[in-house]
Amino acid sequence: MQLLNTILIGITAGSIYSLMAIAFVLVWRSTRVINFAQAGMALLSTYFGYEAVTRIGSFWLALPIAMLGGAIFSALVEVILMRVLVKHSSSGPIAAVAPIIATLGLLGLIRSVIAMIWGGQDLRIPPPVSNNGFTVNGEVLVFSPLKLLILITTFILMALLTILFQRTNLGLSLRASAYAPEIARLSGVRVDLTRTLGWALAGAAGAVAGVFQTVNGNGNFSPDSIEFSLLLVSGFIAAVIGGLDSLLGAVIGGLFLGLVISFVLIYLNGGLFFIAPFVVLLLVLFIRPQGIIGAKAGRRA
Amino acid sequence: MHKLKPRAHFALFVIFGFLLFLVGNRVDELRVYQGASIAVFVIAISSLILLTGYSGQVSLGHGALMAIGAYSATLARNEFQVPIILTFFIAVLAAAFGGALLGAAAARLSGPYLAGTTLALAIGLPSLANQFSILGGEQGLLFDVGWPPLGLGEDFTQYKWFFWIAALAALISTWLLSNILSSRYGRNWRAGRSNEVAAQICGINTGRSKILAFTISAGIAGLAGALLSMTIGTVSPSAFPLALSFALLTGAVLSGVSTLSGVMIGAVILVAIPEIADVVAHRIGSSENITTNLPGFIISALLILTVLFVPNGPVEQHRARAAKKLAKKAEK
Repeated sequence: MQLLNTILIGITAGSIYSLMAIAFVLVWRSTRVINFAQAGMALLSTYFGYEAVTRIGSFWLALPIAMLGGAIFSALVEVILMRVLVKHSSSGPIAAVAPIIATLGLLGLIRSVIAMIWGGQDLRIPPPVSNNGFTVNGEVLVFSPLKLLILITTFILMALLTILFQRTNLGLSLRASAYAPEIARLSGVRVDLTRTLGWALAGAAGAVAGVFQTVNGNGNFSPDSIEFSLLLVSGFIAAVIGGLDSLLGAVIGGLFLGLVISFVLIYLNGGLFFIAPFVVLLLVLFIRPQGIIGAKAGRRA
Repeated sequence: MHKLKPRAHFALFVIFGFLLFLVGNRVDELRVYQGASIAVFVIAISSLILLTGYSGQVSLGHGALMAIGAYSATLARNEFQVPIILTFFIAVLAAAFGGALLGAAAARLSGPYLAGTTLALAIGLPSLANQFSILGGEQGLLFDVGWPPLGLGEDFTQYKWFFWIAALAALISTWLLSNILSSRYGRNWRAGRSNEVAAQICGINTGRSKILAFTISAGIAGLAGALLSMTIGTVSPSAFPLALSFALLTGAVLSGVSTLSGVMIGAVILVAIPEIADVVAHRIGSSENITTNLPGFIISALLILTVLFVPNGPVEQHRARAAKKLAKKAEK
C-alpha cells in the first residue's frame, strides 16, 4: 500500500513538474534562453487565479483566466525585455550570461512587485474537489479526487499541446522557427511572432503548474512560498533530464523526477526535500549530459 | 591603458588602507558598521567578478559557498577554540574545497546549465542545516570573534573592531586577486572565456583553468561568508538566502563584471540601497508593503537596467568611450 501511495504521489507531483519543464522547453526552443523568471511568472499567474476565484467563485473558470494572464504577461516580457536584450548585449564579455542575469532580475522584480500589491501574507485558493484520499478495501489512500483531477487536466493539456505542435500549421511554424530560424524566415514564417507565441504558451503552462502546485499543497501561497522555489528548481531539472529541446522529454523528465523525490522523501528521509533534486541533477549531468531525449551535441549552448 | 608597477600598486593599497583607518576614526558607529558591510561585499563581489567576468562562468550559488565558509569558521571556533585569525583561513579552505567539487562539475557545463545547477545548490544547501544537529537548525550558531584587544584603547568599539578586520581582509584579498588576475592564470581565464577552442590550441587546459577559477572564487566567497557572520554575530540558514546570491550578482554586474577596479561601486550601492529605499518610501509616504519590498525592487530593477543598457559596467563603458575618443583624435 505504501508503494502504491508513493508512486501515485510521485506521478501527481511529477505531472506538475512536467508542466513547468514544458514551459522551460518552450522558451528555450524559441529564444535559446533559460527563463529563470518562469517561477515568478507562475506565481503571478497564481495571483491572477486567486483574484478570479475570489470574484467568480469557480475554480474551472479561474484556471483559464490565470493561463490567459500568464500568457499575456509572458508575451509582454518577450517583446519588451528579450528583444531589447538581444539588441543591446550581444557582444562583450557578459554576452553569454546577460540573458541569465536579466531573467533573474525579472524574477526578483516580479516577486517584489507582487509583495507590494498583495502583501507578504498567505493567500488561499480552495481546492475544487476534496483532497481526502480514496478509500480502497477499507484503507485510505493518499491519492485523492483532487490529485486525480490534476493528473487528468495535466494530460489533457499536454495532449492539446501535442496536437497543436504536430497537427496544425501554427505548430509547424513554431517547430520550424525553433530548429532553423533563418530558413523558416525565408519560407515566409514570421519568426519574431512565433517566438512571442512560444513565450505565451510557456506562460500559460507555467500558470497551470503554479495553480496546481498551490492546490496540491495546502492551498496557501505567498510571495516567499517555498513551493515556488521547488517548482523552479524541479521544472528546470526535469527539463534538463529531458534534454531541454524536447517536449516529450520534459514530460518524462518531470514524471521521473516526481517519482524519485517521492521515493526519497517517503523511504529515506523527509528532510531531503531540496537536496534530492540537486543530486539527481548532478547525476544526470555527469552520466548523460545530453538528456534522455536530447541531441547528440554537447551542452555547450 | 598604462599599468602600474607592482610596487606602486602595493603602495596604493597601503595608502588606501591608511585613508580607511583615518575615516574609520572620524565617523559614527552606524557608518562604521556599514563600512564593515561594504568590506564584506567587496570581498564577495570580487570573487564573482573573478568567476563571471574573467573565467566566463556564472554562479548563482555564491551565497551557498559563503554559508560553507561561515559554518566551517563557526564550527572551528566553537568546537575546537581555534584562534580567530585561523578561523578565517579555515573558512577559505573549506569553501575552496566545496568550490573545487562544484567546479569539477561546472567545467563540463556552460551558461544556463551551470546557472541552474548553482541555483539548485543555493536553494538546497541551507536546508541541510536542519539535517545535522551540530549545525544548529533554523536558529543557527553563535559566532563570536571576541572583544577587541585592550591595547587599542578604552573607547575602541566592537563595530570598529569588525570594521578593522573586514577592511584588512578586503584589502589583502583584493590585492592578491588583482595580482592573480594580471598573472598567467588571469590571462588563461580571459583567453578561455573569449574563445575556448583558440585557448586550447594555444596550449591552455581550459577545463583545469576553469576549475581553478571556481576554487579560488569559492575560497574568497568563504572568507566573505565568515566575515558576514562575524558582523551579524550568528550563522544561520536565513543569513544566506537566495536573495543574497542575487544581490551579489547585482553587485558584480553594477561594478562591471570584467573589471576588478569597479568593485567598490557595487558594494557601496548594495549597502546604500536599503537606506535610499527608506528615504524614498518616507517621501512618498507609502504603505508597509511597499516600504519592505522597495529594496528588493530597486536591486532587481537596477540589475535589469544595467544588463540592458550598460552590460559591461560603468567603468568599462567609460573606458570604451575614452578609447573611441582617442581613436577619433588619431584619425584627425
